[in-house]
Amino acid sequence: MNDLIPMLGGSLGNPFELIDMPIDDWVTQFVDWLVNTFRDFFRTWVSPPVKTVMEWVQWLLTSTPPLAVLAGLFVIAWRAASWKVGVFAVVAFAFIGFMGVWEELMTTLSLVITSVLFCLIIGVPIGILCSRKDMTYTLVRPILDIMQTTPPFVYLVPAVMLFSIGNVPGLVATIIFAMPPTIRLTNLGIRQVPGQYTEAATAFGSTPRQILWKVQVPLAMPTIMAGLNQTIMLALSMVVIAAIIGAGGLGLLVFQGLNRLDIGQAFVGGLGIVLLAMVLDRITQGLGEKAPGSRASSDD
Amino acid sequence: MIRAEGVTKVFGPNPESVKPLLDQGKSKDEIQAETGHVVGVNNASFEVGAGEVFCIMGLSGSGKSTLIRCINRLIEPTFGKIILNDPEHGEMDIATMDDPTLRRVRSQHLSMVFQHFALFPHKTVLSNVVYGLEVQGRDKAEREELGKKYLEMVGLGGWENHYPDELSGGMQQRVGLARAVATEANILLMDEPFSALDPLIKVQMQDELMRIQQELGRTILFITHDLDEAMRIGDHIAIMDAGRIVQVGNPEEILVNPKTEYVAKFVEHADPTGVITAETVALPFSDRYFNRVGKEAGNQVWNRTGYSDIEFHVDTNGHLVKMRFEGNEVALHELEEKVTETGGAPERHTDAAVHCSSDTVLKRVLRGRAYSELPVIVQDAEGRLQGVIDEPELIHGILEKQGYAQDD
Repeated sequence: MNDLIPMLGGSLGNPFELIDMPIDDWVTQFVDWLVNTFRDFFRTWVSPPVKTVMEWVQWLLTSTPPLAVLAGLFVIAWRAASWKVGVFAVVAFAFIGFMGVWEELMTTLSLVITSVLFCLIIGVPIGILCSRKDMTYTLVRPILDIMQTTPPFVYLVPAVMLFSIGNVPGLVATIIFAMPPTIRLTNLGIRQVPGQYTEAATAFGSTPRQILWKVQVPLAMPTIMAGLNQTIMLALSMVVIAAIIGAGGLGLLVFQGLNRLDIGQAFVGGLGIVLLAMVLDRITQGLGEKAPGSRASSDD
Repeated sequence: MIRAEGVTKVFGPNPESVKPLLDQGKSKDEIQAETGHVVGVNNASFEVGAGEVFCIMGLSGSGKSTLIRCINRLIEPTFGKIILNDPEHGEMDIATMDDPTLRRVRSQHLSMVFQHFALFPHKTVLSNVVYGLEVQGRDKAEREELGKKYLEMVGLGGWENHYPDELSGGMQQRVGLARAVATEANILLMDEPFSALDPLIKVQMQDELMRIQQELGRTILFITHDLDEAMRIGDHIAIMDAGRIVQVGNPEEILVNPKTEYVAKFVEHADPTGVITAETVALPFSDRYFNRVGKEAGNQVWNRTGYSDIEFHVDTNGHLVKMRFEGNEVALHELEEKVTETGGAPERHTDAAVHCSSDTVLKRVLRGRAYSELPVIVQDAEGRLQGVIDEPELIHGILEKQGYAQDD
């Protein structure tokens, strides 16, 4: 009887010493395998489109004179939301410009626009697929949870290993981190379209595709726009983190400022990000309110 | 035009399994208690002729909305056939057709009006009206032309570019009606289209529908829980109870001769004055109720038994040629001449009487009685004296929904 205790050793009451799951080793091996196998694939098929779009957007924004950018911004904000938002956007951007970081602002804006564009191109169709088949959503949901909750630092390193440093790994990390709201809210928006409208469309002989594009997507638009808004906010929150692996812009100012203990520079970068976030938020909220489907809420 | 044969809808995990129970004639409640399956529609058969307004009436839960959705398969019927008789393609069974054919039939032959309008809130009034035409693949100019024409028809010309939420309920349903007729489908399915409207607007819309129907002559399947509505607009009425059609007939048949207690209960509260005809309630002109009192200028003179103050002078062809009240001759007028659509002021003449055709509804006869204190004369198709309607006949007709004379 007494022999039993030494036999179990110190593990009595502590089962964790009995079994050792080397998850860390497995992950290391998996990432090594992934990087070795797919590096070329990612560098030839994923990297170029992302990089090209980014460069194109950046070229457009930096080669346009700042005054023209401000004018364009005003028009967009005015059309999407209201003239008040237009004035606010212009004042906020001008303020950033007067702080002397216009170039960085444009770089960050290009990063956000590019990643959000890819989030929409990939996320909206996935969201639509999820809304049509419960099975798809059941499969996609845990992946979305992982994408949203995994701290971005965890996949920064594999991203660098796959794409090397620069804007591209930052963009890819941002796309992964910012896409879930687009998928979730596209799915939710379409599912929330009241059955009476799809029924009416069906009764008039519409095909499933006509029902989707003529009725469900337009009516889901306010919700899809809310998803876009969240996606943009998440993308902005990634710009500082992306700076760690070589992305430029306002995030880089913050990152460098902190490294050099230059609080002033970090603050300028931070303030720029906050103002940009407010401008983009107001504009996309306006888009949601003006979406044609937003009339549905006042109906019955 | 369209015919339902034994249409049955069973809700539940294994709907086919209740077939034997249905065949045994078990009721909805029994089947639900035994198997947990809910029988929405139980063996419904009816036929709607071209250009006819066919009302299906029942309380909520009677299966009428399920039945109409089985017709265009918004709900898949479990058993039964729905035969569409289309001049181009002959008889087709909607219940078994494949999806592309079903879509074609829905878009070209069957259109629908919904209880809660179901207008697309993100589309303008005009784009709502032309939705069905868009699905049919018509080009834009043609769509808009047709859309405007039908909007004009429902009295909403000029509202093209407004959105549904800017319109009142009645106006929204006009748009719903325009959307349904615009596809030029010959069959209109209307699912309680006016139930969500105020009583006044409701009556207005019923008139509007009848006016449009006169113009277009579509075949209409109309669902309602309001018997008065069914009586007003229906050529035929089917009454549903617990998933079954318990009686089919024209309004007067149902009112006068309810087949089951359930129908009788409904009918009890219905307003008979718009349905019952003069012919039904009139005291027949025969020697059973009238006495011949003499002859004058070649015409026979009659009194109603017990009323000697009114003389009816009838010629050899059976036409009423003269009428006397307390010895004075009274003027005879056509009822419709003295009674306008809106009523006509009650004058209570004793020096004039009105005559009407045998198919005049009681409501008009009452208006005639408001014009004159004397009995209303009912004439048959050849203008012969068929009977008279005096106070006892009216009271009896309204309360008992049948002729006074039939009682004895």
